[in-house]
Amino acid sequence: MNSIMESIQSNRVWFCLDCGKCSSVCPITRHMVDGYSSPRLLVETAIGNGEDEILEDPLLWTCLTCKRCSEICPSVVHFSEFIQDVRELARGQNHSGECTHSGMIQTWSRMMVDPEMRQNRLGWVEEGLRVSTESDTLYFVGCLPYYDAAFEKLNIEGVSIANAALKILNHLGIEPVVLEDERCCGHDQFWQGDMDTFRGLAEVNLGNIMDTEAKRIITTCPECAWTLKHTYPDTIGDSGMEVLHLTELLAESDLSGIIPGNQDSSIQKVTYQDPCRLGRYSGVYEAPRDLIMGLGYEIREMDHNRKASLCCGTSCWSSCGQVNKKNQVERLREAKSTGADLLITACQKCQIHLKCAQSGPVLEGELQIDIRDLTTLIADHL
Amino acid sequence: MDSKIILFTCNWNAYSGLEAAGTERMSYSPMVYPIRLSCLGRITPGIILKAFEKGADGVYLLGCSESECHYQTGSHQVEEVYLESQNLLTLLGYGKNQLQLDFIPTGDGASFVEKVENFVNGIQDLQSDK
Repeated sequence: MNSIMESIQSNRVWFCLDCGKCSSVCPITRHMVDGYSSPRLLVETAIGNGEDEILEDPLLWTCLTCKRCSEICPSVVHFSEFIQDVRELARGQNHSGECTHSGMIQTWSRMMVDPEMRQNRLGWVEEGLRVSTESDTLYFVGCLPYYDAAFEKLNIEGVSIANAALKILNHLGIEPVVLEDERCCGHDQFWQGDMDTFRGLAEVNLGNIMDTEAKRIITTCPECAWTLKHTYPDTIGDSGMEVLHLTELLAESDLSGIIPGNQDSSIQKVTYQDPCRLGRYSGVYEAPRDLIMGLGYEIREMDHNRKASLCCGTSCWSSCGQVNKKNQVERLREAKSTGADLLITACQKCQIHLKCAQSGPVLEGELQIDIRDLTTLIADHL
Repeated sequence: MDSKIILFTCNWNAYSGLEAAGTERMSYSPMVYPIRLSCLGRITPGIILKAFEKGADGVYLLGCSESECHYQTGSHQVEEVYLESQNLLTLLGYGKNQLQLDFIPTGDGASFVEKVENFVNGIQDLQSDK
């Protein structure tokens, strides 16, 4: 993106000056106490106050790019894309959001840009699970092994999701290729405007992917799926491969005889958290729900579901604070109020963020509900 | 072969050991760049990874034993960070020896020099094996 004016034009954000409908649903606007931020206000700053002010505005980094605004927008404004453009320009002037977790995730992503780096990341493959070097299907693992190491204390599902995915794929007769030196897909770097790192990661990944004989890519991370399917072709190059989140693959697979009924009788009622990149971005709402019902569970929907789903509160490992925590608390309260025994999501970041909110000492008891990834739940039924 | 080694010390046992080594005119490798923290418990995996990102060949964490920590929980905290960082560095393809955690008695210059030199030798061996 060359200039803010160009982004204002291409993303149609001038419509925001006469509207502001999205302020009522923006997860940041709703919970902002100190100061005020809304999509409309950011556009006003960009148009009215000039380039310098918007690039220096700390509120620029609060947007979760969750696309909730786009769902309610009457004027087809591409607000998330506008934010991404402006962040890219702001990065060029050395502005950035505040990294969470002491910046370790951004750091390991930057380290992965080095094409000579040789990782040691395949230790997670459990005995008995089959991978291949010649399959037409590639399983893109994402940062799961790293999240396992980084968030051990939160008791998250990390590589167990990857193993579950392999178990399911093997069950379908697929022995996927797994890349020995897969890099972070660069999703967070792209949405934070760090295009140098994003391009570096994408180029190494694309090279590694093209070296395989795969014709399609399966992921268990909605962000990886979106990035490989849309961001790579738009910015770096097209692998020409079909990209699917695992739930999309399962929706079009013949599951008869594969998934028996509910084996865990202690869990009957469940609720489902739509990840932004799978729901509002990719439009996959029913496939995960059909799979859950196929497992024999009753779905109790939260007040905000499908297109109106609430974001898990944080994105891109950046700018996490009290506003984000309030979103997480609200979401967990919604999940609990459904009376469900289990909160299912299809994105490991949703799980990390919500479990992080649960780990706080003050509301500990109030927010407790088991959280599982759909992948591991399905694998349990095989 | 030249190495770049980042040494994080706490303000207490480890740094007093470093100062004692200085006043006793003991020498240690010039490849070591010491950085003093108030307590090693303030280190994070992000800072450790950053050192490697910027080209460090090894990161050495030197502090107080658990019973001597001036902030009671610092030694325990750095132990957790150390293990988490080890796991991340292993995934990133680094060797276990490239990040080490140890402690010395307060003001013990000889012990400081000995431990630092051992760490440096370990890094140098690793590089000559490559």
